[in-house]
Amino acid sequence: MRILALVTDAFGAGGGIARYNQQLMSALSQSGCVSDVLVLPRHATGALLTPANVRQLQPSPGRASWSARSTWLAMRQRFDVVFCGHLNALPVAAWIAGLQRAPLWVQVHGIEAWEPRGTIYRHGLATAALVTSVSRYTRRKLLAWADIAPARVRVLPNTFASTHAPRQAEPDLVARLGLAGRRVILTVGRLSADERYKGHDRIIGALPEVLRHVPDAVYLIVGSGDDQPRLADLARQTGMSDYVIFAGQVPDAELPAVLALADVFAMPSTGEGFGIVFLEAAAAGLPVIGGNRDGSLDALADGAIGRPVDPNSPQEITTALIDALSGRTTGQPAAVRRFAFPLFADHVDRLVRTLAR
Amino acid sequence: MCAINGILAYHYAANPIDRAELVRTREHMAARGPDGTGEWIAEDGRVGFGHRRLSIIDLSEAGAQPMASADGRLVVTFNGEIYNYRALRRALEARGRVFRSRSDTEVLLHLYAEKGEAMVHDLRGMFAFAIWDAQHRTLFLARDPYGIKPLYYADDGWTFRFASQVKALLAGGAVSRDPEPAGQVGFYLWGSVPEPFTTWAAIRALPAGATLMVDRIGASEPRRYHSIAQVYCEAETVARSRHAPAGADSSAEIRAALLDSVRHHLVADVPVGAFLSAGIDSGALVGLMRDAGQHEIQTVTLAFEEFRGRADDEAPLAEEIARLYGTRHTTRIVTEAEFKADLPRILDAMDQPSIDGINTWFVSKAAHELGLKVAVSGLGGDELFGGYPSFRDIPRWVRLLAVPSRVPLLGKAARRLGQRLGTAADLSPKVAGMVEYGGTYAGAYLLRRGLFMPWELGQVLDRDVVVTGLRRLGPLPRIAGELEPHPRSAHAKVATLESALYMRNQLLRDTDWASMAHSLEVRVPLVDAVLLRRLAGVVGALPQSASLEAKASLARSPSFALPARITTRAKTGFTTPIADWLQDRRPTGTLAVPRHAIPTTAHWSRRWAGQLAAA
Repeated sequence: MRILALVTDAFGAGGGIARYNQQLMSALSQSGCVSDVLVLPRHATGALLTPANVRQLQPSPGRASWSARSTWLAMRQRFDVVFCGHLNALPVAAWIAGLQRAPLWVQVHGIEAWEPRGTIYRHGLATAALVTSVSRYTRRKLLAWADIAPARVRVLPNTFASTHAPRQAEPDLVARLGLAGRRVILTVGRLSADERYKGHDRIIGALPEVLRHVPDAVYLIVGSGDDQPRLADLARQTGMSDYVIFAGQVPDAELPAVLALADVFAMPSTGEGFGIVFLEAAAAGLPVIGGNRDGSLDALADGAIGRPVDPNSPQEITTALIDALSGRTTGQPAAVRRFAFPLFADHVDRLVRTLAR
Repeated sequence: MCAINGILAYHYAANPIDRAELVRTREHMAARGPDGTGEWIAEDGRVGFGHRRLSIIDLSEAGAQPMASADGRLVVTFNGEIYNYRALRRALEARGRVFRSRSDTEVLLHLYAEKGEAMVHDLRGMFAFAIWDAQHRTLFLARDPYGIKPLYYADDGWTFRFASQVKALLAGGAVSRDPEPAGQVGFYLWGSVPEPFTTWAAIRALPAGATLMVDRIGASEPRRYHSIAQVYCEAETVARSRHAPAGADSSAEIRAALLDSVRHHLVADVPVGAFLSAGIDSGALVGLMRDAGQHEIQTVTLAFEEFRGRADDEAPLAEEIARLYGTRHTTRIVTEAEFKADLPRILDAMDQPSIDGINTWFVSKAAHELGLKVAVSGLGGDELFGGYPSFRDIPRWVRLLAVPSRVPLLGKAARRLGQRLGTAADLSPKVAGMVEYGGTYAGAYLLRRGLFMPWELGQVLDRDVVVTGLRRLGPLPRIAGELEPHPRSAHAKVATLESALYMRNQLLRDTDWASMAHSLEVRVPLVDAVLLRRLAGVVGALPQSASLEAKASLARSPSFALPARITTRAKTGFTTPIADWLQDRRPTGTLAVPRHAIPTTAHWSRRWAGQLAAA
């Protein structure tokens, strides 16, 4: 089976969707029924280390040139499946799948699939043979507006790299960030002024009460973005400046070292399609706290891995933080094993076989 | 006859199933099965079944469910009756299969072991069941050809859940309560929620005559194994190849087929009673029950003070039929006070909103009071024998309006004009849609059975619900879809639509919730796939003028034929004075409160719909 993968980014890029696509392509390369995968990304900058039978073409950043190249490819080569890695690319992918008379496989992640879209997207989805959603929540939100048969929308969760495992904190890093003798609440995520859904402000709001019970607590924010000044202001206004540390962006490769600094990972978000970072934190052995109103529930496995809280309840957030910092945790971080790559790859194999003609 | 439910954590990321949830869902259906409870959970905790039992066949513990095969590979939870289970069992035993009980449930296990999904073609009866195959790790669900027994499911992407009732799935606590616009729109269009939709987005009905398989990636799309239109088509093909019109021997064939169905429907280890009205269908069935060898028959008729001395009063004629066949007969009088006292329980038991079912509630209540566990009903006679006015009206409308309805824009213009004139002249809103809809069977059927017309939905629902709901539901394509592969005769077309839509979504569903709330199993010998196959050619091939003759054949089929007073009585249906009783009742709930109050001058069924949606 030959697969044409039309994606925003995959190999040689960072971010949640790129990482998901890398793992998906790796899983496909292991599937016995897939001969090769041709990946056409819009963006890629880094080195291109692709699995054996996966080939990634040069990126085409412009939407028009990317669409033109996709069409050109489809006219010259024959594919058995067309994979569409982002809903925004659906009109082009659906057109190409039609051209190839090949089954269309659409991947949906998070907020891009939550709000109703226009007719062209509804029709595109109606032609899809398979839609994979990273979480039950995204699936439910998609089915609320798309008219596709529910049986064609499957859940394919995020998975995590085996590099994430419990480890000792690096003393240099502890010293550099001034964390010695402190109990650390950690959030890793973009600080976007447009989105503001990750819940950093909710945790800052909970800090005064948390400190009353856990005086050595500190909040470490990893990630960068244009919302940082507002969050810094908020910390100042609440007198929490000394307890909030902005560590800036950290490359993926250094994430394990950062996770090793923390005592609890908390992100009471309302906008997660899934939240792969929950898996990485749990795999690092951390107690995890997340929201209960979005895809986070999947990453927390409904409480089996971490503690779901109502992100709009300061009381619940505060209690969960105090409990976690005091060693009273609910959920078993080790239960994150269910999201390990071999199980993901096995599921990908089962899914792609349903597309075999 | 029971209630079934189950949970399967099919996805690798899903948690093991929650036993407390399994029990909550099951116990919500306690009334469906007061004689026993059962549950089974696989050792790995990934799958579990629940069962509430109303014991009717093999009352011993050997018939208890969920039931596992001797080798432990298969487990079944089953709601319904397999009327040909004895014949199936004999055939299975002849092939060397060893049985451990006398129940029809065990037949399902052996049959699935032998034939897999294809087993459904061998079954005669009403059924909804699920079979877990531990070897292949698959869950198989099936529902009878007509959809007599209900089966609902919810697949959230990780975990699959099923149950006999929608409200029971919700009671489990793990199923989303997002509303389904197609279900809401469907309810206002027809007065019942059309399958596969329910009023909840997360819950679907397994369609009648369909099967479903759940494996490690989730639920498949339902697969239809039976189509009423197909049966009529095949009968027409056979008739054409014989070049023989339905002739003199049709009465004999009708009688033989009916007696065979009634005989099958009497299989039970408890007494089987009957609902009796003043109509042909139930009367003929009671006569045939006697012919089938049942001499002790408890019959029950519903009567209302308000109808005493009027043509609607069924009691005097029903009593006459009871005397004719020597049944032990009870006339049960229902009063407005009782109706009002029962209404909260009725609304609670009503699994999905429906504008009908009150009559079945009370007649089932009466049967239960008499100690009956099983009662035969004449439901389905009008669909099979062409008893509704629609068999006359729809073909006539289609003939008259086929051409005008094809003239571009004429239908819409006529409707707009008609809407204005209609309001002024106090005409039914449907009149306005005659030209636009009346020219096709699907359109004419929508007019005939519609509660609100599509253009009126904005009066009762929000605009985006109407737009999404209509788009998803596609009322006309949905009706037309039931007609595939297109039987030729007008009778076959209308019979198909009435059976596959009105009877399935309204009558059978109402009968299920209203009877099961009183722990009563209702059996419907006139709703039987084998009977349909035998009679589709006989009745369906009759010229329209002879359709009435078909109903007369039903009346004549018992050895003691029904008297002329019954057969010539004008049709009233099994009615209740509910229209009068509904005055002053105000909406009390939250489901989909109509945007504007439905005017008090509207037809009672429309006002009732508004109240139900709000309940």
